[in-house]
Amino acid sequence: MINIEIDGKHINVENGCSVIDAADRLGIYIPHFCYHKKLSIAANCRMCLVQIEKAPKPLPACATPVAEGMKVFTASEQAVKAQKGVMEFLLINHPLDCPICDQGGECELQDLAVGYGSSASRYHEEKRVVLHKDIGPLVAAEEMSRCINCTRCVRFGIEIGGAMELGQAFRGEHAEIMAFVSDTVDSELSGNMIDLCPVGALTSKPFRYSARTWELSRRKSISPHDSLGSNLAVQVKNNRVMRVLPIENEEINECWLSDKDRFSYEGLNSAERLTKPMIKQGGKWLEVEWQVALEYVANGLRQITHESGAENIGVLATPHSTLEELYLLQKLARGLGSHNVDFRLRQSDFSADSKQTGAPWLGMAVADISLVDRFLLVGSFLRKDHPLLASRVRQATKKGAQINLIHATDDDLLMPIVNKEIVPPTEMTTVLAQVLKALSTIKQATLDTSVQQIVQSVTPSAIAQAMADSLASGERVAILLGNFAQQHPQASQLQLLAQHIATLCGAKFGFFGEAANSVGGYLAQAVPFVGAEHGMNASTMLTAQRKAYILLNVEVELDMQDPQQALAAMGAADMVVALSAYKHHATEYADVLLPITPFTETSGTFISSEGRVQSFKGTVQPLGDARPAWKVLRVLGNMLNIPGFDYNNSEAVRDEVLGGTDVSAKLGNALHGVTAQTATWNTTGLQRVSDVPIYATDAIVRRAASLQKTRDAATPRALIHSVELEKLNLQSGEMVKLTQGHGSARLSIIADDSLPRGVVRVAAGHTITAELGAMFGTIRVERA
Amino acid sequence: MEKITNFFKTFLLLELVKGMALTGRHFFARKITVQFPEEKTPQGFRFRGLHALRRYANDEERCIGCKLCEAVCPAMAIHIETEERADGTRRTTRYDIDLVKCIFCGLCEEACPVDAIVETRILEYHGEKRGDLYYTKPMLLAVGEKYEEQIAKDRASDAKYR
Repeated sequence: MINIEIDGKHINVENGCSVIDAADRLGIYIPHFCYHKKLSIAANCRMCLVQIEKAPKPLPACATPVAEGMKVFTASEQAVKAQKGVMEFLLINHPLDCPICDQGGECELQDLAVGYGSSASRYHEEKRVVLHKDIGPLVAAEEMSRCINCTRCVRFGIEIGGAMELGQAFRGEHAEIMAFVSDTVDSELSGNMIDLCPVGALTSKPFRYSARTWELSRRKSISPHDSLGSNLAVQVKNNRVMRVLPIENEEINECWLSDKDRFSYEGLNSAERLTKPMIKQGGKWLEVEWQVALEYVANGLRQITHESGAENIGVLATPHSTLEELYLLQKLARGLGSHNVDFRLRQSDFSADSKQTGAPWLGMAVADISLVDRFLLVGSFLRKDHPLLASRVRQATKKGAQINLIHATDDDLLMPIVNKEIVPPTEMTTVLAQVLKALSTIKQATLDTSVQQIVQSVTPSAIAQAMADSLASGERVAILLGNFAQQHPQASQLQLLAQHIATLCGAKFGFFGEAANSVGGYLAQAVPFVGAEHGMNASTMLTAQRKAYILLNVEVELDMQDPQQALAAMGAADMVVALSAYKHHATEYADVLLPITPFTETSGTFISSEGRVQSFKGTVQPLGDARPAWKVLRVLGNMLNIPGFDYNNSEAVRDEVLGGTDVSAKLGNALHGVTAQTATWNTTGLQRVSDVPIYATDAIVRRAASLQKTRDAATPRALIHSVELEKLNLQSGEMVKLTQGHGSARLSIIADDSLPRGVVRVAAGHTITAELGAMFGTIRVERA
Repeated sequence: MEKITNFFKTFLLLELVKGMALTGRHFFARKITVQFPEEKTPQGFRFRGLHALRRYANDEERCIGCKLCEAVCPAMAIHIETEERADGTRRTTRYDIDLVKCIFCGLCEEACPVDAIVETRILEYHGEKRGDLYYTKPMLLAVGEKYEEQIAKDRASDAKYR
């Protein structure tokens, strides 16, 4: 520890701490632009110059490490003179366009110019002009003359985003920030550069010129998209969400936000919003009052229960729904007598149901990810599915963590990967079994009977051996299964093998989690295996078609594992009740559309993958006649005379479900009574590998106009290994017809040699591929 | 002694005479009443009357939608909405002043960085319904167009004091 004195105040700090850090701890503000606590030190803005005793010249506080007995003066005559001098230089080339600048009102340069700038400029020569640039649909770089070359955006790209997409070119007065390599910034974290930019050089394109910062009221909320549960500041004007910013939370999202969380708000104001309850009569949609619509639903459900039994009702909800909504939905279904409730829409293997010790979760705290030194990632499109968790993993690799990856595609994770095994989905269990075998040899452990058979049938490959060596050498190991592994037809096998690997190397073991409430869905009991009576899961209630379906937020052709089957089931049903915030394809098959509100217009709770219970309040009034889904379900429960539907607020529902905010006892990833099978599923022909593209995951994101213009949201193409392409006698770039079951899709096919042989990669969750069948399985490719 | 003075003052109606003298002086003096609307008082170039939105000589509207006037308005009489126009500039889609709320303090013209919103010398405007005094962007621009010559002259006279 080192003793220093800043402005007469003493503080004890650790060796290597910078002066600006020490001052920050004392609550002394030193003006700065290029310094950021999460980024490396550049010391190029020179604004943080301070006077240090015995130093002949002022020194930059951000780049000066503390030394024993150091005396720092941050506001002495010398320091202030230096800071004012720097400010005058910075303002030489900065345009005086604050009135039209979107940063105006929250600009660090503007704020500091009040304190350190002079009232008039002594510079009368021509100002420097930097040409505007188009770096994509999210970040506006229209006025690059405003740039003060602090390089925060560049350092963010390299250090947090993982790729240097922006760089500083040229020297001296000609220095400018520009997009490197490609012309656009395609990072899924690019929005953070807007927050980082201390001036108005990088601003938000969707928000551009729509409001000024001082007009916006700031309300707290929680991200409804990925399983991280990022804390949001929803900024509202005239009952409309104008933009979304991060709220700093070191344990969850730090000070970052993924583009999906930041820009998805455009979907809230979409023209497709459903604002009136609607009933289909004689093939025509009629707008009706709530009372009429709810009575229609209640009568319909009563009739079906009466005539064909309650088990003929199927209930589906997305994992992006709140805890309260999911709980009331299952309570309603069970009150009617149906146990056919499920929220795991994209899952295909349900053999682990009721054999699990609790709700599948991350198995560790999010903050601990950066401390892990060995990872085994199984089946995860990590960067696209969990942008900020990916950044945490990236931080861990900076500290020397090794990543072992088993997956069916080889997307660039923008971080070093020590061992990777890219195999068709059919072989993923084999690879895991190989790793398990190699690991058991290293650890000289006897394996549990449930996995003995499969382990004996394999011989570890060199890569599996290397993975085992890597995992065995770690101190803090994490085995994490991604969305792909959860959606995999052998999900429970993967889980079991991963669990045994974890036990052998004393690792944390968990799931990244598909959506904001993937854990909450289990705790809300929105699954068919609660209690003694078991209902049908999301897959069987479609294969065995039900008479009636209740859909909460679900767009069956985009949200389900098998859209073909889902659409067929909906078409055959007597009654489909769709609770949705949007008018969507349900108009084709539904009988009633009930307008419910998205997360900004309702109170609710999300439980993130680490088991953190986060409740939030509505930020704006519901649009039109839309109502929070928990209220709709509550009234529906009353109308159907189901007992226990007398909640006054969503908090009462939450308390009934959770009985407190500590849910750790209800979480668990271990499997009991599942045996690993040696036989892989019988496969002939090409196998489909599907990802759900980052901006196709849920209803709100799919309607966010700017996100849909990004490269990640481009029309999906079929990807295939060039050898397979040759076998099919096709050219890369050609249009092909992909067929699964009785449905087909026309896509262009592209050769991608990073894929394993025998697979075709086709995205799910997109209208183009909605006619196709399950996300896994055989797929036929032929010339269109 | 005081009692005696008071007695004589009361007895001789001295206060009354003084009062009547004042009345008499004004009765015969030159009248200062202005016979509005036939006559008008002189106005300074800083007179704060009806608002106007100005345009540049090339017909481009001056307002850039910075909303400083909206922010500074103590009566919250101004309402602005902005967007990015097709040519990439920041422009208002809505610029309303509720003249019923307005207290004519002139802070809006003071705040304006481009001299777009100004208060003219016009004070003889009226509305027959309350809604008539809710001035929208086209109405304000029309005022500006009509009186631009006078506005420009007043601005020029004020320039040396700014």
